[in-house]
Amino acid sequence: MKEKNGLRLARRLALGPYGLWAMLFILVPLLFVAYYAFTDNDFAFTTDNIARFFTATSVSDGVVTHTYLLIFWRSLKLAVISTVICLLMGYPIAYILSRSPLRTQKILITLIMIPMWMNFLIRTYAWMTILQDTGILNSFLRLLSLRPVHIIGTEGAVVIGMVYDYFPYMILPIYSVMAKMDVRLEEAARDLGCNSFGVLRRVIFPLSLPGVISGVTMVLIPSISTFYISQKLGNGKFYLIGDAIEGQYVANNLHFAAAIAFILMVILLIGMALMQRYANSRAAA
Amino acid sequence: MKTSAKIYTALIMLFLFAPIAILLIFSFNAAKSLSVFSGFSLYWYRELFRDAETLGAVRNTLVLALSAAVLSTAMGTAAAVGIFRLRSKVLRAAYDTVTNIPMINPDIITGISLMLMFVFVGRLFGAATSLNFWTMLIAHITFCLPYVILQVLPKLQQMDASLPEAAMDLGCTPFRAFLKVEIPEIMPGIVTGLIMAFTLSLDDFVISYFTAGNGFQTLPIRIYNMTKKTVTPKMYALSTIIFFTILALLIMTNLIDTGPGVEKQEKKERSAASKRRTKLAFGIGAVLAVGMAAVLFLGAPKKPVLNVYNWGEYISDGSEDSFDVLQGFEDWYLANYGHEVEVNYTTFASNEDMYAKLSSGAVSYDVIVPSDYMIARMREEGMLLPLDFDNIPNYQYIGESFKNLYYDPDNLYSVPYTYNFTGIIYDANRVDEADTGDWDLLWNPKYAGQILQFNNSRDAFGTAQYKLGLDVNSDDPADWQAALAALKEQQPLVKSYVMDEVYNMMESGEAAVCTYYAGDYFIMADAQAPGVELSFYAPERTNYFVDAFCIPTCCQNKELAEAFINYMLEYEPAVANAEYICYGCPNRLVYEDGAYAEDMGEEAMEILYPNLDDFGEKYEQFAFRNLSPAMLGTINTLWEELKIN
Repeated sequence: MKEKNGLRLARRLALGPYGLWAMLFILVPLLFVAYYAFTDNDFAFTTDNIARFFTATSVSDGVVTHTYLLIFWRSLKLAVISTVICLLMGYPIAYILSRSPLRTQKILITLIMIPMWMNFLIRTYAWMTILQDTGILNSFLRLLSLRPVHIIGTEGAVVIGMVYDYFPYMILPIYSVMAKMDVRLEEAARDLGCNSFGVLRRVIFPLSLPGVISGVTMVLIPSISTFYISQKLGNGKFYLIGDAIEGQYVANNLHFAAAIAFILMVILLIGMALMQRYANSRAAA
Repeated sequence: MKTSAKIYTALIMLFLFAPIAILLIFSFNAAKSLSVFSGFSLYWYRELFRDAETLGAVRNTLVLALSAAVLSTAMGTAAAVGIFRLRSKVLRAAYDTVTNIPMINPDIITGISLMLMFVFVGRLFGAATSLNFWTMLIAHITFCLPYVILQVLPKLQQMDASLPEAAMDLGCTPFRAFLKVEIPEIMPGIVTGLIMAFTLSLDDFVISYFTAGNGFQTLPIRIYNMTKKTVTPKMYALSTIIFFTILALLIMTNLIDTGPGVEKQEKKERSAASKRRTKLAFGIGAVLAVGMAAVLFLGAPKKPVLNVYNWGEYISDGSEDSFDVLQGFEDWYLANYGHEVEVNYTTFASNEDMYAKLSSGAVSYDVIVPSDYMIARMREEGMLLPLDFDNIPNYQYIGESFKNLYYDPDNLYSVPYTYNFTGIIYDANRVDEADTGDWDLLWNPKYAGQILQFNNSRDAFGTAQYKLGLDVNSDDPADWQAALAALKEQQPLVKSYVMDEVYNMMESGEAAVCTYYAGDYFIMADAQAPGVELSFYAPERTNYFVDAFCIPTCCQNKELAEAFINYMLEYEPAVANAEYICYGCPNRLVYEDGAYAEDMGEEAMEILYPNLDDFGEKYEQFAFRNLSPAMLGTINTLWEELKIN
């Protein structure tokens, strides 16, 4: 028994470095965000930065809008659209993958991961070449004597960029849950009279929910805060929350940048907690 | 697989690989364009292998990714083992929550939070620089850790808990049981975690952007900083090489893994393979660790280092058959001073970007190249050192028109490097000659949807102010409101707000009118597609600017910095830089030189050096000046107001 106590101690020690690291480099930096968010340039306490986010307005053609609330709303909208598209596109492919021969699975997973190894800035640049009005896609359409499409500089182009960049993050977690699923469950459901849609709704989807939740998280979070994709594919016309933070940082406005970051963080943490709670309640039911 | 499933999979693969195909194809482009393919060539591959800065950035990226992956995997695995055995539910929940934070926090917040802390702590201890390789490594380990833990934990949960106990009952020491029984069981999780950490670190841009420090530049940051000039097909060549390397590696590992792939034997083989993999992983880990240590410690240069901070693509670097100025300086210094030096060259994307880094104390440089208005600001804030002109005798070659300008009236702090002005570039095949001549072309509804405007606030507001006859340095908010109204009026006509994208869009004919810096017109005209005929003019009232060498107060080796500035004014490097950048050069050795004039061509000489005698006068009248912080804040707010429409 003595030996086992020693083992327990060793395990405690194994956790030590990470505990210390998490404290110093995960928790403390977040306190710094809060500290900067609630202070002015002389580090005196103020709530002005936070208030500015909610109250700053701009007037255009006589219409008053809340600048940052609008920016936030836009970022959220584009991120949600991208996430939904990723899910709709990724879910079937994850299912197909998980039901393929092992060898095919391996090859396809590798193929899906390869684009992640190419630099993200360069990938986005390549999309510019494809989507431009005089780009590859439109040359192709003209060749087929179809009408060219105008995509670059629209919300659609930004969404394509986001979907492309974060697509693998949706597929992989869903796939890994599905691969562990017992295929016999599906057969049983079918034997009991379920049609294909019923199997999907009553069996496959509920079981894959944990994968869906982590996929959604891994796509939604980076797309809500991106500041490069919107600059390049949105023709600089879509100013998102990430652009706002970066803009304030470059303008040397650290305290307001921290305030925007702080608010974004709080909103996301609450959102994620609610989503987790929903997932848990579903899992319990 | 059903046919429908096959078709669907094929479509997804098409989507995933379409941009990759573009990369591959354009890396073989004979011209410099990323949108017009003009013939097959290996030119950009040769260029890539000559580009020491980019190769250095690749090395940095790999060193950082390997270090971060190995260290986070080691720490993360230990942490997972510890967390798995935690008895206390509260403690377990606490660890789970903390581990989740970097994953559900957008990386921009992780980056900013770490940057704020590093800078604050650095200031507290009075460090010359608070950001460097180590802070970047800490940042990368931090965001990789959760992914490793989340890969290893499930494997521990799947493991039969009685296995290690059985091993100990059979006489294993606890440590041996852990090593021999537990580790092989969770090995697949560890390997996946390692690969994920490596991938994430390799591709990270945002967190690196906020925590990057002195002279340690990774590839994503180098690419981002090319945004004033252009991203060249060289980068596509690099991506192509990376693509094929990874492909080869993956095919190789797949071959080893599956062997004579009979699926029945798979289970048996798997255990053998997993043992092999364990050994392989340990082997690779050991090699990596040794390699890293070697790079970090032996690779540390012992000769004096000069840290230079310049705009992206703003020096003749040996690419495209140009003269390698940095190498030239190292050779010249050795020949003249008898000992070796090393130049550590880093780039920035804008004056504001550079100022933000320097003023936070995050970085320290010996030579910087700000623009005029930023020089004025830094001088007023005491961030610059007066130069010792005894060490810069070549200053005599600077043309008189470029001395005593407002930002440095007594010529104490700066040595001009380039000058240029903003003008209008248009496609003569689509734009009526009659519509050209002044700023109104950018507001001409005839060209709706074909006009490009600056994607930076000061330059964009400038175009409106020059058009309206307003003072670009006005401290009356009403003037700026008027300019904003003009920009809003222009907005429906604007195709895109651009910086470096301007090259592609003008060269390919995607847009017909843009405003950009005069020198960049020559680069675009060289790469224009068939059917596009670019032309240039500068309106009477426009922004003239000078970029100059300065030495910031954080300089560690002032004499060496001055030697560098002096060298940059020598004939060979000065001509090479002027021809590479294509901006005007204030150095008489250059603009009075016949060979240079011939290389540039008649049109370029006329545009760049129209009449230097009245340069000073025009400059004082129209150039951007430093504005008060309050005014800068206002402009930023107005800019956001424009951009949210």
